[in-house]
Amino acid sequence: MEPDVSIETSCMIRVAVIPIGPIPTQLFRDYSSMLLPHHTVSLSSISSFYTEHQKSPFSHQPWDSGSLHFKFLLGSSPPSPWDDFQSHRKILSVIGISHCPSSPDLHSLSDLFASACKPYSSSLVHRCFAFSPGDSQLEDETHKGTNLILFPPADRQTQEFHLLTMMQDLAASLLMEFEKWVLRPESGGTIFKTPLDSQATLSSEEVIKAKKRRLGRAQKTIGDYSLLAGSPVDANAHYATALELARLTGDFFWYAGAMEGSVCALLIDRMGQKDPLLEDEVKYRYNSVILHYRKSFIQDNAQRVSPLSFELEATLKLARFLCRRELAKDVVELLTTAAEGGKSLIDASDRLILYIEIARLFGSLGYHRKAAFFSRQVAQLYLQQGNRLAAISAMQVLAMTTKAYRVQSRASIEHTSSKKETGPAPHDFGKVHQNLIVSLFESQWSTLQMVVLREILLSAVRAGDPLAAWSAAARLLRSYYPLITPAGQNGLASALANSAERLPSGTRCADPALPFIRLHSFPLHPSQVDIVKRNPGREDWWAGSAPSGPFIYTPFSKGEPNQSGKQELVWVVGEPVQVFVELANPCGFDVFVDSIYLSVHSQSFDAFPISVSLPANSSKVITLSGIPTKVGPLSIPGCIVHCFGVITEHFFKDVDNLLLGAAQGLVLSDPFRCCGSAKLKNVAVPAISVVPSLPLLVSHVVGGDGAVTLYEGEIRDVCISLANAGTVPVEQAHISLSGKNQDSVISISYETLQSSLPLKPGAQVTIPITLKAWQLSSVDPDPVSGKNVSAGSGRQVKDRSSPMLLIHYAGPMTNSGEPADVSVLPPGRRLVIPLNICVLQGMSFIKARLLSMEIPAHVGDSRQKMAQLESESTQLATGSERQADRFMKIDPYRGSWGLRFLELELSNPTDVVFEIGVSVQLENSESQDSSVDCSGTEFGYPKTRIDRDYTARVLIPLEHFKLPVLDGAFIVKDSHVNGTATSRSSSFSEKNTKAELNASIKTLISRIKVRWQSGRNSSGELNIKDAIQAALQSSVMDVLLPDPLTFGFRLAKNNLEHEVKRDSVEESDTQLQSSVHSSKVVAHNMTPMEVLVRNNTKEVIRISLSITCRDVAGQNCFEGEKATVLWTGVLNGINMEVPPLQEVKHSFSLYFLVPGEYTLLAAAVIDDANEILRARAKSNTSDEPIFCRGAPFHVQVSGTV
Amino acid sequence: MIVCVAAVGQQNNPLYIQSFTEADDALKLHHIVHCSLDVVDERVNNPKKSGPTLNETFLGMLYPTENYKVYGYLTNTKVKFILVTTDLDVRDADVRNFFSRFHAAYVDAVSNPFHVPGKKITSRIFADRVRNIVKSFGLSSTG
Repeated sequence: MEPDVSIETSCMIRVAVIPIGPIPTQLFRDYSSMLLPHHTVSLSSISSFYTEHQKSPFSHQPWDSGSLHFKFLLGSSPPSPWDDFQSHRKILSVIGISHCPSSPDLHSLSDLFASACKPYSSSLVHRCFAFSPGDSQLEDETHKGTNLILFPPADRQTQEFHLLTMMQDLAASLLMEFEKWVLRPESGGTIFKTPLDSQATLSSEEVIKAKKRRLGRAQKTIGDYSLLAGSPVDANAHYATALELARLTGDFFWYAGAMEGSVCALLIDRMGQKDPLLEDEVKYRYNSVILHYRKSFIQDNAQRVSPLSFELEATLKLARFLCRRELAKDVVELLTTAAEGGKSLIDASDRLILYIEIARLFGSLGYHRKAAFFSRQVAQLYLQQGNRLAAISAMQVLAMTTKAYRVQSRASIEHTSSKKETGPAPHDFGKVHQNLIVSLFESQWSTLQMVVLREILLSAVRAGDPLAAWSAAARLLRSYYPLITPAGQNGLASALANSAERLPSGTRCADPALPFIRLHSFPLHPSQVDIVKRNPGREDWWAGSAPSGPFIYTPFSKGEPNQSGKQELVWVVGEPVQVFVELANPCGFDVFVDSIYLSVHSQSFDAFPISVSLPANSSKVITLSGIPTKVGPLSIPGCIVHCFGVITEHFFKDVDNLLLGAAQGLVLSDPFRCCGSAKLKNVAVPAISVVPSLPLLVSHVVGGDGAVTLYEGEIRDVCISLANAGTVPVEQAHISLSGKNQDSVISISYETLQSSLPLKPGAQVTIPITLKAWQLSSVDPDPVSGKNVSAGSGRQVKDRSSPMLLIHYAGPMTNSGEPADVSVLPPGRRLVIPLNICVLQGMSFIKARLLSMEIPAHVGDSRQKMAQLESESTQLATGSERQADRFMKIDPYRGSWGLRFLELELSNPTDVVFEIGVSVQLENSESQDSSVDCSGTEFGYPKTRIDRDYTARVLIPLEHFKLPVLDGAFIVKDSHVNGTATSRSSSFSEKNTKAELNASIKTLISRIKVRWQSGRNSSGELNIKDAIQAALQSSVMDVLLPDPLTFGFRLAKNNLEHEVKRDSVEESDTQLQSSVHSSKVVAHNMTPMEVLVRNNTKEVIRISLSITCRDVAGQNCFEGEKATVLWTGVLNGINMEVPPLQEVKHSFSLYFLVPGEYTLLAAAVIDDANEILRARAKSNTSDEPIFCRGAPFHVQVSGTV
Repeated sequence: MIVCVAAVGQQNNPLYIQSFTEADDALKLHHIVHCSLDVVDERVNNPKKSGPTLNETFLGMLYPTENYKVYGYLTNTKVKFILVTTDLDVRDADVRNFFSRFHAAYVDAVSNPFHVPGKKITSRIFADRVRNIVKSFGLSSTG
């Protein structure tokens, strides 16, 4: 059998084209390719070369329309035993091709050609075409008369024209030879035999029969030659005779041959026109041909030779003739029959050819799967031959089937799928190409696909093509690893390794193997190098482009990478960037990736390779980095991986599709999931644009980048040094604050930064910043007053409680060397410097309370010294106050001293020592009608040292304030506080009073500063204003309101008045005014005394007054057996009525028996107390009697004068 | 005797393929089914426009190969059912009957809310049901 047969094959003249002499293969191919276009030479063009020697047997030669057909066979071919049967099988002409420069001697060349022609016994015309002869060779005359034809060097067109002429000459010569040949057998007697004819000695009967047959066979042969000579009409006539004779003699084989010839003649005659009628005719006749070939099957020599191949050939010819979609059914039937018949073919190569032809026909019919099926059969036949060339053929044939099975190498896909979609846009993610989806579906024919790939691998190994083997193994492993046993996977891995050993290092393969690589994420710019678009129209050019909202890292942008429409990544030339990719190795062996780096097709990116090793069944996220080198858009389609000895490119898109398929259940398995990697949403590849170099500020805190550790309230200066690490100067910069606890930054030296602009590359600037540590979780700030509580409010003390410095900076508006284009501004940058402040708990405030201290007044004694001792401030304040208060013009040095302190309890939980210093700013601002306007001075108290883990109390003496009138307004409202020391009448509205009191408390508080110091360099201020306020407010009622009654004692003996006025026990605000005189009380002397009772309310109060006297031991001196004091007058149950805001006097006399110190006490029971009094006394029931006690008075009784 | 039945999805992806022979010729049957798609594809792409066959789902014999006959059936959703049989004398009615029962089984199987369209049918019940249909193939004609 022969490949590529068709019905028209019968009319083709076979010409062997052989190289003569030494000639490079490439040149030989080149020359013969010039020959190939001349496969058809029209009769009209050869008429000039044709001379009619005798009357032509081809009487109906169509000189104007016919043509001769050539079939060039490159290289030699052995003569076929079936030459006689079908003349077109004979090599009828030989063309030698030689290259003159390599064969200088033309004579020997012609000899060489003559000997080369010898094996072609059937050849009728020989020509040797010698190309590129030298001048000397052209002049050489020795070859004249031989068949050597020199083609003088010329351009290709000329040479081709020359060649055409030579071919026409050759065709004419052949035609003349055919005529000669046809005329010969009619005269002579040639025996036409085929291998089919019996080789045994013929019996006489058979000889007669053979003679009869000979005529028919001769007619058939003449028909063949007529056909070759391009005269179908003549041929048909001869065939008709031959058919008749063959039918008569039962020579079925030749009958079929003649019939084939006649069909060919018919087709040639019709000049390729096809109409249904002709088709039917051809079909009919060919079926008969096939039938007769089948009939000619002789059981006797079936072992040796069989006409089966002719039958199949005829079938294929018919199939090829009919091969059209509309007739697919017929063709399929024919091909199926042929395939069936092929099984009984003896010759393996015949079967090979048959399958090849079947596959080709199926392919041209559009039945790709069937074509692939038969191609596989062909490959198997090749593989059976067991030699390397056959294995290469098998591999190539299998490679053709891969498309139908959807396992083609990516190299072939890229080759075929043209350039129409060049460089898919990086962000058209989600639109998966339709082809890819289909291939996903088709990839489910895994049984078939794996077989095909395995066969490719096998054939490639046999063929010694390591790259093809590698590619097949890679495809097998990558696509079907879930279906392959671990042992098989290991086998494939070693196949990969073995193949790689034979490959030169650095070999690239289009098909990726392991690992699977997908994009994990693009890390956002670290906040230190964040890029901000510049808004040219605004002074604050960064505004509007930064992420809105209070967060720098908005959590929303992270979670949803799919809203990628606007997602854009900006990279800067010369600055390294990072991309996270995830690798997975789902196979049962370790994969060592020699190097992996980002693949960027444009030359605008320097990628840094790294090597990774992946254990079996594992996945890993790695960082790939690189440096963009050119401005412009950049796309990263995948990674270049050097693994298993071969460099491959892994596209992210492929894996995305695979994962998509896995998600839909179409693909066998998700390599990442089976490695235990978390399911990751598909990452969109953002549009990456590379911008020209920008300045780059690098910051560090002078003195160490660690957190600044501060105690609460500590104030410290921090220097931040900024250096420009970029290549472009910083021309604009702006500092702002962000984050929590912004008010802990007290000052930033903006001017330092501004004055250092432009900051040249490499330059550095140091910016001082003053920090004040905020309060750690504040003591439960009242939600109402929380607004005022500035620092430390809210829940806090998370990690991100530190404030951040935002520095927006930018380079020059235009890049040097580029035309100024305002619309395209190079972006600016933002540097975020988190001020890492670690606030330690410092001095902690435990509680504050108001304390009052009472120092009893001496009756008739001057207390000047004491007053000075107590505090100057008190005196001063008192003095000024009293000047204002006309109701209380009582000698202040005669009464009982009350002193009020603010006690702060502080604890030191830290491990350092703190020193507390309290200072009070003296200011006489509390009374609006004060005549003396003292300017504020500061008064410092001695420092208190608090050791670690100790608690200490600090006492702060407070100025006095007291309300002169006990008024309903203070109490009725049920509010704590109402009034100041100077609001002396009810004319003040409640609101005013309240506000005034609040204001006075505030001013008081604001004047108290508690500073602390620890060690040499930490110092700060304790923020306890709120605590003080709370402490004051809770006790203010008791402290500030006057008692309803004030009791005082004085000596009535002298004319001088010693008035001592007393306030309530708790209040220390003594209203004392002293006269200069002093007198002594002497024992054993009648001492007349007076008790003064003052009503501080606006109502009349009826009281029952009693007076007691106690000695130092606290014994009552008036009563009992050992009474030491005698008295005259009434001391108990004195009923009196005190008019509002008036004093009432009651006189009595005392006689002290023993000198010493005595204490006089006055007390009263109030009758018919009104509500105000009850409220003041905090009595629960209305029946309860209300007691009112005065302050104790000391009486110093001296001995005899 | 039926040696193989298959359901092939719209995208020519195998949904279900089951052979009923003892011999180890699954690969060959896969090939036969795969190759038969050529013929089905052609019928799909060049549907006959004539009246009675407009909505015809039964494709008839697709092609004879080796010792097998391959029959095809095309649902409205372009799912293909392929039947490979060794019987020489097969009545069209039997094949039609087989296909309609197979179709019903298929519809039931893919109606399962847990079935992912386009994915291979792994339902055991479907497999059992198909086995029964295969077993009963041709019995109705003899009985």
